Amino acid sequence: MEKYILLVEDNPDDELLTLRALKKNNIANKVVVARDGGEALDFLHCLGPHADRDPQDLPEIVLLDLNLPKIFGLDVLKRIRAEQRTSTLPVVILTTSSEERDMVESYRLGANSYIRKPVDFEQFTEAVRNLGMYWLVLNQYPHSLGGPA
Amino acid sequence: MKNRKPGLSGSGSGILKWVLAAAAGALLVGMLAYGAISAYVIRRAEDNIHNVLLTHRGLHRYIQEIMHPAFFKAQKDQDVALDYYSPIIFSSSYIVRLLHGFYNEERIKDGRLPIYYKMAADNPRNPVNKATAMESALLRRFNEDRTLKEYHEVVKVDGAPFLLHAIPFLETNAACLRCHGKRQDAPLGLQALYPGEGGFNERAGVIRAVEIIRAPLSHERYTAFLVAGIITGGMLGLGLLLLFNSQLRSTVQSRTLALEGEIKERILAENQVRELNQTLERRVEERTTQLQSANRELDAFAYSVSHDLRSPLRAIDGFSQALEEDFAGTLDATGKDYLLRIRRGCGRMGSLIEDLLKLSRSARRPLETSELDLSAMAREIGEELQAGGSGTPTEFIVQPGLKGSGDPVLIRSVLANLLGNAFKFSSRNPQPKVEFGAALEGETVAYFVQDNGVGFDMRYVERLFGAFQRLHAAEDFPGTGIGLATVQRILARHGGAIRAESGPGQGARFTFTLGA
Repeated sequence: MEKYILLVEDNPDDELLTLRALKKNNIANKVVVARDGGEALDFLHCLGPHADRDPQDLPEIVLLDLNLPKIFGLDVLKRIRAEQRTSTLPVVILTTSSEERDMVESYRLGANSYIRKPVDFEQFTEAVRNLGMYWLVLNQYPHSLGGPA
Repeated sequence: MKNRKPGLSGSGSGILKWVLAAAAGALLVGMLAYGAISAYVIRRAEDNIHNVLLTHRGLHRYIQEIMHPAFFKAQKDQDVALDYYSPIIFSSSYIVRLLHGFYNEERIKDGRLPIYYKMAADNPRNPVNKATAMESALLRRFNEDRTLKEYHEVVKVDGAPFLLHAIPFLETNAACLRCHGKRQDAPLGLQALYPGEGGFNERAGVIRAVEIIRAPLSHERYTAFLVAGIITGGMLGLGLLLLFNSQLRSTVQSRTLALEGEIKERILAENQVRELNQTLERRVEERTTQLQSANRELDAFAYSVSHDLRSPLRAIDGFSQALEEDFAGTLDATGKDYLLRIRRGCGRMGSLIEDLLKLSRSARRPLETSELDLSAMAREIGEELQAGGSGTPTEFIVQPGLKGSGDPVLIRSVLANLLGNAFKFSSRNPQPKVEFGAALEGETVAYFVQDNGVGFDMRYVERLFGAFQRLHAAEDFPGTGIGLATVQRILARHGGAIRAESGPGQGARFTFTLGA
C-alpha cells in the first residue's frame, strides 16, 4: 500500500500552503485532506461516505489542526485514540496555536508531536520538510499494529 | 467623647450652695435641739434640787413636829431641865444646815461639785442665815404672793452658770411663836444662848424665811451642748450624706445616660460597619466576578489572536512567496520589491502578535514563586544574546550571587527583555558594555541593568513602559515596543516596580525590585 498523509485542515489557504511546502520539499506522497473533524473521523473509522473503505488502509501520519469546525481538534485526537485500530496511529498536531494548555492537552491525549505553524513561509516550509523527513522516512512503525506498511 | 463626664466636680458652685444649705439646716436644728435640751436638763436639775429642798423640808418638819413637842413635854414632865436648850438637837435650821454640810462633803467625795444651801431670813438668830438683798426681796415676794410656791433662775457666779431655786419656808404659826415670839416666852436655855433679838418677835401668818439652793449647771450645760453638738453633727453628716447620695445618684444617672447613649452609638456604628462590610463583600464578589469574566474574555481573545490572526498572515506571506517564485518571469523589479515589503510587513506583524501574546500571558499566567539564582539566569541569557548578536562582542558584567524570589518563567522574561534591550541599544557603541547588579535601597534589594548604549530622552520616560511605545525608529533598532510593558506588568504582579534613568547618548540604567 502506498504511504499517504491525512491532512486535517479547514483553512484552504493553509491546505494549499502545506501542499506547496510538501511539494517544494519533494515529498511526493499522496495527501488526503479532511476539511473538518467529522470528515477526518469518518475517513479513519470508515464511516459515512467512507464506509466501503478498507479499514486496514491507514495513513502514515495524520497532520491535525486544532482549530477545526464541528469537532474540535483535541476531540478528534481523543476519538482517534479511543478507537483500538487507530489508538497507536502517529498523529502530529500542526497548528497556529502556541498556547501552553493546547500543547499540554495534546500530549496528554496522546499526540506524537506538536508543531507550530510559523507565520514565515520559509520557516513553515522548513518545518514541513523536517516533518516529512522524520515521519515518512526516518520513523519506523511496526506492521503487527496494522495500518501503514 | 462627645459627652463631657458629669460628676461631683462638674458643678462646684452648686455643690457649695448645697453644702452651705445643709450646714445652715443642721445648725438651725442644732440650735433648736440645744434650746430644747437645755430646757430639759434645767428642768431635770430643778427637779433634783427641788427634791433636795423637799427632803430638807421633811427634816425641818420632823424637828418641828416630832422633836419639839417631845422636848416641851419632857420639860413639862421635868424630865429635862427648864433651862436646857441646844441648837444641835433643837434648831431645825441649824440641823438642816449641818446636814447639808455633810451632804456636800459626800458629794465632793463622790467627785461632784457642792450645792449651795441657805435658810435665809431677815431677822435670823445666827448671822450666817442673814438674807442678802436678793434673798430678802424673794422673801418679800413669797409673803406678798402666797400662790408662788417656788422660784428659780439661772444665775452666773464668777462666769459659771448656776441654777438658783427657792421655796418659801413654813408660815409662822402658834407653835413657832413659843421660840420665835416674845423673848421672855422662849425656853430659858434659848434665851441664855441668844442674847440678841435675832429670831424673836416673829408674827404668826408670816413666812419668816426662804430656803435657797444653788446648784452648778456647767455639767448640764455641757451635756446639752454635747447632745446638741452630736445632733448638729449628725444632722450635718446626714445632710451631707443625703446630698452626696443625691449627687451620686444624679452622677450615676447621667453617667448611665451617657453610657447608654454611647452604647447606642456603638451599636449604630457596628451596624454601619457590618453593613459596609456586607456592601464591601458584595462589591468584592461583583468585582471578582467581573474580573474573572474579564480574564476569561482576555483568555479567549488571546487564544483567538493566537489562532485566527496568524493564519491569514501566514497565507499572505506564503502566497507572496509563491507569487515571487512561480511568477518571477512576469514580475519586474518594482513588483518584486512590493512583494518583499508585503513579506517584511507580515514578519513584523507576526512578531507583534507574538509579543502581544507574551504580554497577555504575563498577566494570565498564575505566579509560581521560588528562589531564583538571578546571576546564573542573567549569564545564560547573556550567552544566548552574545551568540545571536553580530559585530563587536559586548562586555557583559554580572555581579555574582544575586538571588531573588519570583516566578522563574516570568522573571526570566524580565531579564531577557531588559538584557536584550541593553545589548540591542549598546550595539552601536564601539566598546559595548552591559552590567547586571544590585544595590540596597533602604531595606529593599534593587537590581539594575546598565548599558552604555544610545540611551533615551528622559522627557519621554513616561511612555517607556506603555505597550507599543517606541523611542527609536524601527529602522535603527527593531522591536515591537511591548517588551518593557510586559516587564512592568510582571514586576507589578510580583509586588515590585521598575524605573529608568538615561539621557541621549549616555546609556540607560533600568532599576527594578521584586517586592516582598
